[in-house]
Amino acid sequence: MIDVLTENFGTLWQGVLTTLAITALAFVGAVVIGIVVAVFRVSPIPPLRALGAVYVELFRNIPLLSLLILVAYGLPYVGISFSLFTTAVICLAAVSGAFACETVRAGINGVSVGQAEAARALGMTFTQSLTRVILPQALRTMVQPLVNIFIGVALGSSLAAAVAVNELTYAAQQVGNRTAESMLLFLISAVVYIVIALLGGGAGSVLERRLAVQR
Amino acid sequence: MPTSPPSPFVVPPGLTARRFSRRRLGASAAAATLALASLAACGNDTSALTGSNTDVSSYDQIIAAGPTADAATVDGNAWAKKIKDRGSLNTGGSDAGPLFSMKDPATGKLTGFDAGLAQLLSRYITGKEDGPLTLTITTVDTRETLIQNGTVDTVFATYSITPERAKKVAFAGPYYRSGDAVMVKADNTTINSVTDLDGKKVATQQGSTTAARIAKDAPGATVSLFPDDAQCLAALKTDRVDAYVIDQSILISNATTDKTLKVVGEPFSNDFYGIGVTRDDPQAKAFVNDWLEKIEADGSWAKLWKATVGTVVAGEAPAPPKIGSAEGS
Repeated sequence: MIDVLTENFGTLWQGVLTTLAITALAFVGAVVIGIVVAVFRVSPIPPLRALGAVYVELFRNIPLLSLLILVAYGLPYVGISFSLFTTAVICLAAVSGAFACETVRAGINGVSVGQAEAARALGMTFTQSLTRVILPQALRTMVQPLVNIFIGVALGSSLAAAVAVNELTYAAQQVGNRTAESMLLFLISAVVYIVIALLGGGAGSVLERRLAVQR
Repeated sequence: MPTSPPSPFVVPPGLTARRFSRRRLGASAAAATLALASLAACGNDTSALTGSNTDVSSYDQIIAAGPTADAATVDGNAWAKKIKDRGSLNTGGSDAGPLFSMKDPATGKLTGFDAGLAQLLSRYITGKEDGPLTLTITTVDTRETLIQNGTVDTVFATYSITPERAKKVAFAGPYYRSGDAVMVKADNTTINSVTDLDGKKVATQQGSTTAARIAKDAPGATVSLFPDDAQCLAALKTDRVDAYVIDQSILISNATTDKTLKVVGEPFSNDFYGIGVTRDDPQAKAFVNDWLEKIEADGSWAKLWKATVGTVVAGEAPAPPKIGSAEGS
C-alpha cells in the first residue's frame, strides 16, 4: 500500500499543486466578485442593484457541475473557449462569488446605520464612506463566513476532475485506476482536502484575532 | 427619411444603463440557450444509437434462446445457487456505453454486448427467458470494491484485465478482444494513425487502459481522461483535443451517427475484456468460464456480437479470445 504512494507521489503532488492553484485563484476571484456584486446590491443605483440580484440568484442556484459542463462544452459552440483549468477557475469563482456576495452584504448591513450617517454628515461620498468606514468594519465580521466559502471552493474544486482538469481528485482517480487501489486513493485525497480546509480555517482564526478591535 | 442616431444628450443616463444591461442579459441568455441546444443535440445522437442500431426484438430472442444450466449444476455451485434463489443477477456496469451497455432513455431498456452477456448469464442461472438483471452502475473507481464487498455478483463493463486488478478480483474470460483506433474530425488530414498523435492532444475514457498504450506508441501526446464517451466526443468536437482514442467499435458507432467525425487507421492494440467476479470463491470464476464456453460453442456469443457490435463493424463475428489467455484471467 505504501509503495502505491511512493511510486505515484509525483502524479499526486502535481494534483495537489493544481488543486491549490485552482482554490487560490478561484477564492480570490470569488472575494473580488463578492465585494463588487455586494457593492452593486447596496448601491443607490437601481439597475446595479438589479444586476447584482440577478447575478446572485443565477450563480447561487446552478449546480457547479452543470456550470462546468456548460462552460467546458457548451460555450465553445458559440465561439467562447477557455482552457479546462481556466474553466474550472471561472466556474468556481462565479458560483462562490455569489455566496461571497451575500456574506459581504450581510457584513455591510451588520454595520450600524449610524456609521453611514456619520460618514455622510462628514461630507463623504458613497464610495468614500463604503471604503473608509463601512467595509473595514464589515470585513471583521466576515472572516469566519469567508472561511466557509474558502472551504467550499477547495472542496468544490474536486468537481473539476469531471472535466479532466489534472487536480487532486483526477490524479487520485488516475492512480487508483492504474493500481486498482481506488478506495485507498480516495482516502488519501480526502485527508489532503481535510488538511487544506483546516489550514484555511486556521488562517481565518489568525486573521480574525488580528482584526479584532481592542476594547 | 434617414433616421438619425439617438443623441446621448436626450437619453436619460438611467435609461441607457438599463438598456445596456438588458441587451447584455439578452445576449447571454441567447448564448446559454444555444449551448443547451447543442448539448441536447449531442445527447440525442448517442441515445438514438441504441434505438436505431440494435434491433431490440432479435436481441431479446438471442437472450431467450440462450442456454440454461441444469438444476444440479447450479445447486452444486454455492455462488450460482445464491443468484438462482434470488431470481436475478446483481451485475455492475454502465448505462452510457454505446454498443456495450446503454440504456434507452425512452424505454428504459438496457442493451449492448456487455448487457446482453449479463442477461445470458442470468438466463443460464435463473432459467428465466428475459435474463433478469439488477444493475448497479459502476465507475472505474468502484468496480473492484463493489465486487469485493459483495454488492454485485459480476461486472460486465468493458473491464480490461490487468495484473493489478487481478489481485483484487477474479477475471472470467476474456470474452472480447478490443482494439483501439483513432477518431478525428472529418476535416482533419494531419492525423492518419496512432503515430501521428505525437505532440497532439488526445482524449480517452477514464479507466480504460488506453492511456498507457498511447504513452507507449505516441510518447509526445498529451492525454486527457474524460469520464465517458459523450464527454470525449464533446471534447473532440469543441477542439479541446485533436483526437479520441478508444475501442474501434465504439468509434465506428460514433462516426455512423455523426458525419463530422471519422475513424482513421487500423486498430493498434489488443485489450482483453474480462468478467469481474469475487476472488473469495473460486467456484464463481469456474462457473462463469464454463458458461462462457457454452455460449461461445452454441453460437449465442456470435449472434449477440452481430446484434450489437456487429451493427457497426462490418463482417462476420470474430473468433472469441481463448478463455484464460490474458495475463490476469
